[in-house]
Amino acid sequence: MPPLFPATVALYGIACALFFAHLYGPGAGAGHGAQAGQRQDAPTGVSTLARIALALAFASHAVDIGWLCTKGMHPVVNAKEALSFFSWLLCGAYLLLSSRYRLAAIGVVLVPMTLVLDLAARLSPGSEQRGAASLLAIVHITLASLGVALFAVAACGAVLYLVEERNLKQHRTGRLFRRGPALETLDTLNRRTIAVGFTLFTVALITGAVWLLQTPGGHGLLSAQYLLSSVAWLVYAGLIAARIGVGFRGRRAAVLTVAGAMTAVAVLVVYLVRDGRGA
Amino acid sequence: MVSLCIVGLSHRTAPVDVREKMAVPSDQLEHTLRRLTELPGVREAMIVSTCNRVEVYAAVERGDSAELVRRTLIEGRALPATLRAHLYSHEGQAALRHLFRVTSSLDSMVVGESQILGQVKEAYALAVDVGTVGSLLQRCVPRAFQLAKRVRTETDIARSSASVASAAVDLAAQIFGELQGRSVLVVGAGKMGDLSARHLRAAGVDRLFVVNRTRARSDELAARLGGVAHDWTELDRLLAEVDIVICSTGASEPVLRRDQMRKVMRVRRGRWLFVIDIAVPRDVESEVGKIENVYLYDVDALDSVVRSNLDGRSKEAVLAEEMVSGEVDRFHAAERTQGVVPTIKALRARFHEVAVAEVERVAGRAESDKDRELLRQLAESIVNKLLHEPTVALKREAAEADAAVLVEAVSRLYRLPAGDEEPVPARVLSLRAREGES
Repeated sequence: MPPLFPATVALYGIACALFFAHLYGPGAGAGHGAQAGQRQDAPTGVSTLARIALALAFASHAVDIGWLCTKGMHPVVNAKEALSFFSWLLCGAYLLLSSRYRLAAIGVVLVPMTLVLDLAARLSPGSEQRGAASLLAIVHITLASLGVALFAVAACGAVLYLVEERNLKQHRTGRLFRRGPALETLDTLNRRTIAVGFTLFTVALITGAVWLLQTPGGHGLLSAQYLLSSVAWLVYAGLIAARIGVGFRGRRAAVLTVAGAMTAVAVLVVYLVRDGRGA
Repeated sequence: MVSLCIVGLSHRTAPVDVREKMAVPSDQLEHTLRRLTELPGVREAMIVSTCNRVEVYAAVERGDSAELVRRTLIEGRALPATLRAHLYSHEGQAALRHLFRVTSSLDSMVVGESQILGQVKEAYALAVDVGTVGSLLQRCVPRAFQLAKRVRTETDIARSSASVASAAVDLAAQIFGELQGRSVLVVGAGKMGDLSARHLRAAGVDRLFVVNRTRARSDELAARLGGVAHDWTELDRLLAEVDIVICSTGASEPVLRRDQMRKVMRVRRGRWLFVIDIAVPRDVESEVGKIENVYLYDVDALDSVVRSNLDGRSKEAVLAEEMVSGEVDRFHAAERTQGVVPTIKALRARFHEVAVAEVERVAGRAESDKDRELLRQLAESIVNKLLHEPTVALKREAAEADAAVLVEAVSRLYRLPAGDEEPVPARVLSLRAREGES
């Protein structure tokens, strides 16, 4: 068990509670005390504290990952570490994007997800596989994880978009009204996140192909993992092409983003299951 | 006994399509007012017809008058009988409370908004012009205006209130985020469209276009709002360009249709479009709201947004409700007090006549005019002192409860004229008294 794991979990837990308090706590009611047109998704004291707690959790988590790497338990050779690494990247991607966009409402979903993934990585029974990793494998795993983390953030934004969009269509204003980001902001986040994630994922797919071809005795490019990755890549490629070509946006883009993210996460699951069995 | 009666419907009891049917067009208001006051038992009438309510305020003297008003509103205008289910009626104190609440904007779709006061004032002015306002409405309605003014100045209800216009701004912000750099198209020259456009302007929208079938009106509105007027023929081109559309025409048929908007959205390449339809009857086909990336809000939909904004305003609304209750009580006390005024007047006349007669009887023996004036002042002073306690008692009794028993007792004791009779001269009364004695 890494030395800062309890502190990391505690900090993630505090961040979760603060994000929930921001969205559902007193004064979060729609229209409460606000002038017309004044956005309530602006940072509040609570949401700022939540981001500070999350940043501390991210740093603490990084120390743990570094400590485990020094022991030879790095994400490339160990499925549990890969999961923990993915959750750490997810948190990092969120922190990075939330410095640019007002994404406290997404934090309510994404931070608990990070916590659960880290807990699952640490507490699930499994191998403590150790070993050295090639540079190609490190590049592939890192880029693929980062790409999928960005897709996951985009998917959280897309789900939020779908909920907000449905509420607006049905003339319902709940907690997400004002506290949630604007539809156009979510769509912009989606477009940019997927553009970056797609680039990283493309490089990961190429390095993965090379890595697989170099791996003796494997299924190569016909493995379920690689085929699923290719499907995810095609979904996002289609989404980007449709955005550029026919002005694809909004609800359709959100649905396709969620579909692509599910495929990309399936790749991660296959990898984890395969490595778990292999162990 | 004439009492206040209200028959009508509002956004609380009827959806917008029912309100559309029930609305009394402005060119039919005079005719409808006259028809109402021709009904048996209906002495006065005023009609408040806005996009959120259609109400008849009447002074009635028969129990079945409310039903007659209902028939005039529904069957008299060949409307479906099913609309009856949406009508409510209030009488007496409940009607007065309703009038006060409506005028003070406590019954509005947006609590605290100021437009309703102006609308009731317009309705009252029209009824005065047509001659359907009598003493009861003259007493009640101006009092409601005074109360509305007090509510606005003594509570924060107006300051913290949302409005349909500000709700539209909130929704625009929820769709587009920051509103700087956005553009808005105002279709029609209705008042609410004007107001919403102003709110959007204040929230940062920097380009504004106005389209109206009458070019002169669009020029006027555009000049007022700092926008650019365009011909009606440019409507589709502008729809493809702007981010927000506000419709508030007086058209009886929709001006934005589904097929038209589908074409517009294709030109827009799916760019989000926020359509605010604050016209009654509605300007935009409801099917338009189903088109992808089009967000259509009519007055009822805006109402649902506004209601969710009211949590923080409930405290002020409670204060305002207390003010309404206090005013209703004071009005009724004043009305009851007013009821004993004829008795007090008759009593004073009775005493005064006796005093004058007695002064005249002894005045001949006075040595100078000064003495006669002193005698007159003495008599008047005695009468005033004698009548002070009974007058106060009568008014107090009337303000607190029903003073009918006391009025009857005083009338019988002093043989005062009843009801509509002219006060009987004191000399005649005193003569009758002497005859009775003999």
